[in-house]
Amino acid sequence: MLRPSIDNNQGEEKTAKIDKESVIAKRRWPIPGGFGVTTWRAPLLAAAAIGLALAVSAVPILISGKNPLLAYWAMLRGAIGSADSIAFALNKSTPYILAGVGVAMCFRARVINIGSEGQIAVGGVAASWIALNFSDFPSVIVIAAALIAGAIAGAAWSAIAAVMRLKRGVHEVLCTLMLNFIGLLVVSEVLRGPMGEPGAGFPQSPLFAESSWLPNLFPGIDMHAGIIFAVAAVVICHVFLWHTPFGFRLRLLGGSPNAAAYSGVSFGRSVFEVMLIAGGLAGIAGAIEVLGVHYRLIEGFSQGFGFNAVAIALLAGLNPLAVLPAGLFFAFLEAGALAMQREIGVPSSLVFIIQGLTMIFVLCAIGIGAKERSV
Amino acid sequence: MLEMRGICKRYDEVRANRNIDLEVPRGQILGLLGENGSGKTTLMKMLFGIMKADAGTIEFKGKRLDRHTPADAIEAGIGMIHQQFMLVDAMTVAENVMLGWADAGQWLRTREIAQLIRRASQTYGLDLDPNAVVGDLSLGRRQRVEIVKAILRGAELLILDEPTSNLSPPEVAGLFAVMGRLRSEGRSLIFISHKLGEVLEICEEVVVLRDGEVTGKCSVKNATRADLARMMIGREIGLGADRCKRAPGEEILKVDGLSTRGHAGMQQLRDVTFSLRTGEILALAGVDGNGQAELVETIAGLKTAARGRIVIGGHEITFASIKARLAAGVAYIPADRMTTSLVPGMTVEDNLAMRDFHRSPLRRGPWLDRSSFRSQATRKIAEFGIRCAGPGVPTQTLSGGNQQKIVVAREIGRRPRVLLALQPTWGLDPGATRFVIEQIIQLRDAGGAVLYISSELEEVLLLGDRVGVICKGRLLGVVDRHNVDLTKIGLMMAGVEETSEPIEER
Repeated sequence: MLRPSIDNNQGEEKTAKIDKESVIAKRRWPIPGGFGVTTWRAPLLAAAAIGLALAVSAVPILISGKNPLLAYWAMLRGAIGSADSIAFALNKSTPYILAGVGVAMCFRARVINIGSEGQIAVGGVAASWIALNFSDFPSVIVIAAALIAGAIAGAAWSAIAAVMRLKRGVHEVLCTLMLNFIGLLVVSEVLRGPMGEPGAGFPQSPLFAESSWLPNLFPGIDMHAGIIFAVAAVVICHVFLWHTPFGFRLRLLGGSPNAAAYSGVSFGRSVFEVMLIAGGLAGIAGAIEVLGVHYRLIEGFSQGFGFNAVAIALLAGLNPLAVLPAGLFFAFLEAGALAMQREIGVPSSLVFIIQGLTMIFVLCAIGIGAKERSV
Repeated sequence: MLEMRGICKRYDEVRANRNIDLEVPRGQILGLLGENGSGKTTLMKMLFGIMKADAGTIEFKGKRLDRHTPADAIEAGIGMIHQQFMLVDAMTVAENVMLGWADAGQWLRTREIAQLIRRASQTYGLDLDPNAVVGDLSLGRRQRVEIVKAILRGAELLILDEPTSNLSPPEVAGLFAVMGRLRSEGRSLIFISHKLGEVLEICEEVVVLRDGEVTGKCSVKNATRADLARMMIGREIGLGADRCKRAPGEEILKVDGLSTRGHAGMQQLRDVTFSLRTGEILALAGVDGNGQAELVETIAGLKTAARGRIVIGGHEITFASIKARLAAGVAYIPADRMTTSLVPGMTVEDNLAMRDFHRSPLRRGPWLDRSSFRSQATRKIAEFGIRCAGPGVPTQTLSGGNQQKIVVAREIGRRPRVLLALQPTWGLDPGATRFVIEQIIQLRDAGGAVLYISSELEEVLLLGDRVGVICKGRLLGVVDRHNVDLTKIGLMMAGVEETSEPIEER
């Protein structure tokens, strides 16, 4: 016989909570992606897509009067030809992966956060401030404090967007996008004011003291320790998404906002939390860029990272673990294309053409896979 | 007038239609009877040109229809009225009629069209105002707009796909009167339904489909309900409604003066008061969209009450969070499987866990206990006979009936003190319907309290220990099951002053 049961914790939750969230949750917008790249077919399709992209990219290379095969050979060498070139690509991939995995978590919950760029920017500013003002402390402490400051600044930046979204109903695409511009201008502003290097021709801060430089992983190779943070972030986000109630809430929200409300998931709390996480990760990415690559704050150092992060998250099918290969792929492609430009002398815009074409082809390939699965 | 011969259609492994023959003579209403998934809609979609048949021929008025599109079908004189109306809510009746109608001309001739509609409306007793905005019309009227659309486009054969599913009894009577007039003019109709009574009432001939095959073809005069049911289901089936006699226990749910604030296009609740005792089912009838969803959602915590109180077992929960209500023993089976009670893209085990994932045993400290997810799912799949490839498959791969079993397994499996069930058998075939009803009665026999809301009057009368009607946001006439007056319920469902969905005499 069924015994109707009751847990007596209703008293503590009996607050007069108007569920505005569930009303907001009713509004839906379409989200691209949202599938897991799990089948064996995905890598195959991806490889075919890359092949096609390179084939099509050969046309503009030919038009610019170069031999595409030579260009691709230069590209390959530039990406993985030497320890240094690999190190260069790995350094490049770090901010992509950190910001990308945060964006993937947001998109999972249908929170369209495209504000990584601004979050990276303010994270960089905060880390630079620590590095410039507290360089007398031991190296470990300065670096840790700078990273933490970057995370807090990035999280605070995205929290602004989250609050606007939740309190005033301003769509997060708008808030995060606008905050990108402001974030970039904050960098310019501090460089022309308190943090600028006096007498430098370019808006940049003074070089940081060496105690605040992110150490290299291997002596003699210019590869900083940031990639470790990126890998850790990917693993932690994976565990969060699949093995914690928090992740379950995000997946419910992403699957169906109505079902999430029905399961007692607070829309506001989940959106706020996931935005803080994404902002924090982007902030760390910004800190790593200034501490590990430039050793100073320079104007526009985060430009373009935000959109790449979105592209990587989508490329990864919003799957945190898949962000790692997606981010690496993006970074190696970029590193290779830059080398190609240097060595063969193709126009720099070709770099972006190849990146864009590859993205389009790979996304189409994944799309084909998703369609096959859902039928 | 229409002859379909040897129609076959398969989707991958499923043979939706197998060698089906169908004939419709002029001036007759043919009933097409079958459970969900028996292939009725597939057959009609092929007739109307929405899908292509794999084999077979269609002949209409002596002309062969082959590789035709819906536009060709309309041109030839076939009209189809879909279950979901194909109308633009924000436009007027006249504008909807003109929409996509080539003969309406290149320029908008609203006045002429309005005149046509008025004339047709008079001829068939439709009582339609061409200038009314469709969104303001009742579902019964909207259906008439669809009928006018089809008639003005010159339909001689009209396909009506489950036309009565959203109508109140007086509206059904009105529809039947209109159908009768169309027949007397020499038009033919195909009436798709899974309701035996309606088919017996209005049709001359009936064709029964089961699993994509014709299992019976007879004239209605010589058919009985039992015959048709056997042909349709292939086995004897009664709605499982055996219940033990038990006196209701103490009051468990009390709803007092509950009102909600209206939202655009939503009915608001007005001063709803009732109480529910343990071991009792309160069943409410009513036409869809009269405040049913608002009532259960307000009790379940998805909507906020504007006024009034909700008390469960002595604790007021009017403004409690959903989690608190879950903990207080409120379970809820919503009507909408695709967006509310299930997440189609998530796995069966996740869907079974989604209302309790924040509590032990599914949660252990900061972690989800995935093994407990799995074991709970395995247990419920066995206990409730959910047919699926395993707990790890996406829910969207299951059939509608099995999806609903997941919801029922989760909600009744929580051993609720109060179960709210809104149209829990919506879109289910008789077998799955019976399963759901049996589970609910079992819960009631075990001492659970159930608020059961349906637009199927038959179910309401079958299940309710007490029966009431909800109309325009008000709860009307709750009576004991032994004192039910069907005429009165019908009138109340239609809204007392709205008994006039008038059928003008010619």
